[in-house]
Amino acid sequence: MSPYVFTLLIFNLGLGTTMTFASSHWLLAWMGLEINTLAIIPLMTRQHHPRAVEATTKYFLTQATAAALILFASTSNAWLTGEWAINQMSHPLATSTIMLALALKLGLAPVHFWMPEVIQGLDLTTGLVLSTWQKLAPFALLLQVSSTVNPLILTLIGLLSTLIGGWGGLNQTQLRKILAYSSIAHLGWMVLIIQFSPPLATLSLLIYIIMTTSAFLTFKLTSSTTMNALATSWTKSPMMTSLATLILLSLAGLPPLTGFMPKWLILQELVKQDLPMLAFFAAMTALLSLYFYLRLCYTVALTSSPNTITMLTPWRLNPTQTSPLNPLTTMLTLALLPLTPAILALVIY
Amino acid sequence: MLKILIPTFMLFPTIWLVPGKWLWTATTAHSLVVASASLSWFKWCSETGWVAPNLYLALDPLSFPLAVLACWLVPLMIIASQNHVAHEPLTRQRTYISLLVSLQVFLILAFSAMDILTFYVMFEATLIPTLIIITRWGSQTERLSAGTYFMFYTLLGSLPLLVALLYLLNDTGTLSMHTLQYIQMTNPDTLGTMLWWVACLLAFLVKMPLYGVHLWLPKAHVEAPVAGSMVLAAVLLKLGGYGMMRMMVVLGPLTKEMAYPFIILALWGIIMTGSICLRQTDLKSLIAYSSVSHMGLVASGILIQTPWGFTGAIILMVAHGLASSALFCLANTSYERTHSRTMLLTRGLQMILPLMAAWWFLANLANLALPPLPNLMGELMIIVSVFNWSSWTILLTGLGTLITASYSLHLFLTTQRGPTPQHFISMDPSHTREHLLMALHLIPLLLLVLKPELMWGWCF
Amino acid sequence: MVNFATLVREHWMNILVPIGFVIGFYMDRAQDEKLTNFRNRSALYSRELKPGEEVTWK
Repeated sequence: MSPYVFTLLIFNLGLGTTMTFASSHWLLAWMGLEINTLAIIPLMTRQHHPRAVEATTKYFLTQATAAALILFASTSNAWLTGEWAINQMSHPLATSTIMLALALKLGLAPVHFWMPEVIQGLDLTTGLVLSTWQKLAPFALLLQVSSTVNPLILTLIGLLSTLIGGWGGLNQTQLRKILAYSSIAHLGWMVLIIQFSPPLATLSLLIYIIMTTSAFLTFKLTSSTTMNALATSWTKSPMMTSLATLILLSLAGLPPLTGFMPKWLILQELVKQDLPMLAFFAAMTALLSLYFYLRLCYTVALTSSPNTITMLTPWRLNPTQTSPLNPLTTMLTLALLPLTPAILALVIY
Repeated sequence: MLKILIPTFMLFPTIWLVPGKWLWTATTAHSLVVASASLSWFKWCSETGWVAPNLYLALDPLSFPLAVLACWLVPLMIIASQNHVAHEPLTRQRTYISLLVSLQVFLILAFSAMDILTFYVMFEATLIPTLIIITRWGSQTERLSAGTYFMFYTLLGSLPLLVALLYLLNDTGTLSMHTLQYIQMTNPDTLGTMLWWVACLLAFLVKMPLYGVHLWLPKAHVEAPVAGSMVLAAVLLKLGGYGMMRMMVVLGPLTKEMAYPFIILALWGIIMTGSICLRQTDLKSLIAYSSVSHMGLVASGILIQTPWGFTGAIILMVAHGLASSALFCLANTSYERTHSRTMLLTRGLQMILPLMAAWWFLANLANLALPPLPNLMGELMIIVSVFNWSSWTILLTGLGTLITASYSLHLFLTTQRGPTPQHFISMDPSHTREHLLMALHLIPLLLLVLKPELMWGWCF
Repeated sequence: MVNFATLVREHWMNILVPIGFVIGFYMDRAQDEKLTNFRNRSALYSRELKPGEEVTWK
């Protein structure tokens, strides 16, 4: 792809999301989402092999459906109540449809099926963009409509997502699919809390983006997309693979790593809202996710798989896939928990 | 407090900067210095009732024996692992020692936390280093399932605990241990409060472990390298007992009826796990099951909530920590020579390693609670207070003591006495390192009985 | 003199743990003094010292 076109597409990707952020009118927000989708589609097919094209097609179809649903819901809301503002939605039909559309855009259960398939077809960098930057625009809309959506729907979608995210990843050997399911589970936690404390949901999204960025970049560093490749990746970068264990456990939400912070705060908020049983079930679904993270940990650093002699030398060469972002996000992924009070003060109060 | 914690943190740069040939010497020396300095916590002359208090961390008579034990164990673990990690690359040796020291950091923070949530975070934080020690440095493929069992049993108990603690926090507005004893839970009779009670204790009962949720422990012990077994038996199980004693204060009147099934399970567990020990063929598994049986006694002592029960529980925890850790070291010395944990294959060792047989003898006597040792003191206090609660329990506890004595004897006779098999002829003699290790386990145990008030808990 | 330089180069990291002690001891003392000051000034906790007793938080 020519660098000019590439730059143009990247800028459009930014423009779409920013437009959605800035709009208070549904039509403009919808335009932002469409610009965003249209910009990422060529980026997804940059490596022009059949699997990427298939993934792009699937992505295009789901995003187009979601955008159409959003358009339909917002126009019918305007038709019924005469109101175009995003945070002034009031008709239950419109809010429920919008919620469904945003769930489809974000890849939340029960409309999550496209997400693992699409990410599996992309290279790790595009997958990273898809699971971080592409979540921002729909999430911003979700934050604004969350107070008008039926709480039961939000809770069900959230709990179902954490459950499906854990369940789906159990049987996977493909790293990108596992990361997709991990994304579903994490977004489920955010949707659970979004009606009670939108800033907390934003904080969770931020922490999730940091954690998943370091996971994607670490896998990219060792160019591994399956568990088998991961098992031999320690020869490429022993240091990063041993840190990868901790990154994965942070994604799983074990203290004293950063991933525990959103889980802790979300459970605290749920208990504060007098929903201890919901908090209990949500915490239990985290165990399902933990299982596949733990299995990844076993393969990445806790067992050393057999290697041929020539396979043992790559650590002497400089890795080609380095990213300056990786050390930063890895540090944040591992050591942010002691800073919880400061972060709370910044984000929530 | 910080005068121990900051040197412990300084151990990390020391480990990574010290030249390779000095690695084991330097780390052993430094951690031993830290451990000796931690003995200053025994100087308890404070009108507040807390040793070394600052705003977030402090120790009281309930926690300082265990905190000192945690500090004491680290140099011993380093001495014990020298042989089996020696063949690895230098970086991995350094990583291994760093993991052991990180366990010390988390354990000190857990025992000295003034806030129950801090305690919870540190309680959980010990999982990751332990998991890595078990699954990275264990020797067989079953270590992976052992690690999974370990993680999932513990987390299955402790995630409800987190929710229960947050519920308490929401209800009372504080989880500080200063104010905890004044907390009264409202409406104690509903189903929700009962569930809350169970959630508060389940994590600790799994960690202890209580009979019924103990299956992770023998697996973890069998698969872990020697340092993992030592720290697991000596300190990590005691986190459970410690946490229970802390939570008991809050749980209030509900415990009176709710504790019955758990006391029954604990007492029944003494008999059952003791009987399992009697027919056990695997050396490390036997010691692990003996830990479960002793911890059953500790759990029942805590659950009946009398001062004597608490005192006995904490004495038994400290004494059992040293004794079982010593037994795991001994099992490792014979494992390093015979490369087998099967007792039939490691028998008759007295002829070859006579001084080791003496250590085996002493450690077994400590395990079966012979009179001059603090193990007896702990067991006796628990048995007496449980007997006072209901006289029928003497059947269970008495039988349990008898079984403990039998399997300890079985362990000693099988491994040490009898004819020496032919395949042992070319065996390493025991090293000074191993004798030092055993001495550092058993001398504190023998000395503690001269001044047991160091580990008496609150009942001065 | 060369030997001394080698000694320093090979063993300087052994000073880290003792330095940790010094820092920790100093910080503990500072914390004790702070808490003592607070206690002595508060109406609830201040008390007459026994003869020969030093002013500390403990």
